[in-house]
Amino acid sequence: MNLKMIVAMFTILLFSGVVFSEPEEKLDDKKIIQQQKVNDEINSSQSAKEVVIKFQSQLLQVMKDGDKLGFQGRYKALDSAIIQSHDLTKIARIVVGKEWKKISNEQKIELVDVFTRLSISAYAYNFKSYSGESFKFLSEDKTARGGVIIRSLFVLPEDKDVKFDYMLKKKGDNWHIINIIANGVSDLALKRSEYTSILQRQGFDTLIAKINEKIDNYAK
Amino acid sequence: MVTFPQEKGFSSLFTVIFISTILLLTGCAGNDVIDSEVVDVSVSETDPEVVEVDIEEESEVDPYEGFNRSMYGFNDTLDTYVAEPISDAYLWVTPRFVQTGIHNFFSNLKDINVVLNDVMQGKGGQGVDDTGRFLVNSTLGLAGLFDVATEIGLDKHEEDFAQTLAVWGVPQGPYLVLPLLGPATTRGVPGGIFDAAANPASYVGMPVQLLQMLNARANAEGSLNFIDEASLDPYVFTREAFLQHRDYLISDGESEVSGDLLDLEDDFYDDDDLLDDPVDDVSSKEEKGSEVVIEVPVKTDDAIEKQVEDPKQQLELRSEAESFDEATTSFDGAVESFDEASRSFEEANEKLNQIKN
Repeated sequence: MNLKMIVAMFTILLFSGVVFSEPEEKLDDKKIIQQQKVNDEINSSQSAKEVVIKFQSQLLQVMKDGDKLGFQGRYKALDSAIIQSHDLTKIARIVVGKEWKKISNEQKIELVDVFTRLSISAYAYNFKSYSGESFKFLSEDKTARGGVIIRSLFVLPEDKDVKFDYMLKKKGDNWHIINIIANGVSDLALKRSEYTSILQRQGFDTLIAKINEKIDNYAK
Repeated sequence: MVTFPQEKGFSSLFTVIFISTILLLTGCAGNDVIDSEVVDVSVSETDPEVVEVDIEEESEVDPYEGFNRSMYGFNDTLDTYVAEPISDAYLWVTPRFVQTGIHNFFSNLKDINVVLNDVMQGKGGQGVDDTGRFLVNSTLGLAGLFDVATEIGLDKHEEDFAQTLAVWGVPQGPYLVLPLLGPATTRGVPGGIFDAAANPASYVGMPVQLLQMLNARANAEGSLNFIDEASLDPYVFTREAFLQHRDYLISDGESEVSGDLLDLEDDFYDDDDLLDDPVDDVSSKEEKGSEVVIEVPVKTDDAIEKQVEDPKQQLELRSEAESFDEATTSFDGAVESFDEASRSFEEANEKLNQIKN
């Protein structure tokens, strides 16, 4: 009797495990899309400038609470802030350049997923504490084909200001950050060179492995 | 006037080129370990020969990538085993305010070169400011140990001869990683020689140069750690960051955004994001997108080159047409500031001698 029960429970567990894990993976795939849609609703009435300023203030808040939060806390706090304000799917796409068409759908989803975690981890790691920094809005420029560039300064109390220029693009009704240019160094162009180089030399799996390694290092 | 003993000057000149660019050379600190791990991964997972695959889109800017990568590895090893331990020891032993003083001192000597290059680039106003900077810091700032000028609103500018050559229209040339000297472009080689020649620290004894070297490596510490933390391929990361930052300095921070837009425009505006569409639409959309995407990387190098050159030409034209008067007055100012500079040069030299003794 006991044996039967155990077997039954085991099968139920197994079954539910299968049933659960299946849609969970699918959910994971679509998580990003869904999140994007939710964000779009939140963002819908915001101008490009508002998106940037909101993100910057969220970032400063995390820095102020930085010590208290710890890495995991900062990660959690920045997670939604970054996903809301950035179009990470597009960024991941641009970053791999023409390799995008060579990788499979699953690989694309995997890439966007690890890239998202890398971006959040990098923020959580680099903006860990507060010592009087602030952002200053400078100007807003429209580009020829409907993009917007928000120019701002990251004001450091003890050092020269750092120029932060944000490139935004409208998707549907909503503005998303696509690129950040710090003192002339474009994050997107830098990553693009690195990622395409690795993809061409060492392939997709190595790229993902390296990104995961970075994520682990940030979390340490 | 200042006299520079020929022989000593020249041999130490070389040392100083080495020293002053150690900052760049060290763009590779600590990546050694990561690199070797990476190679292991590639060997186990893919054909080792894959490493030889040529990368078309980068060949224009970096035609000697094979050589450059091995030089990068060499410099990296040297930094890991020589420069970094010494620098760490320096940072550990020296109190913070002493480090700042030493940094300010060498930064002040570099301002002489900044003034020269301001003048050669026709930046009269900035030249006057930077001359003021040098004078204030050399006197009130006690031979440059304190950066008083920044406190009173005379901010530090970054100018060097490689930038001047760029403003004059000399093309950038291929990217090079030089043994000991680190990242450069062909244009940067004469630039570096000139800058070393214009720096008084090049003509004094070894202890000062050693200190300069330590200071440069110590200043780079933060950037080097950042490269370690952020880069997936430290070689490519260093190259791109170096080239982009040089462009930024050349254009004085004006042209970078539009240039970046040019590079990435097609991808940026291409709305074909796969994840927004379920699987069925993929193939047709992808093909459409791929056409565009292929085009872009090839364009990239050209675009950078053009973008760097265009503002330059405009700059030159403008200075010829509009501001001829301005140029002559700034030349008068330049002569004055040359006098001032040489006077302070003497002062600096005296003080250096005092320090030496």
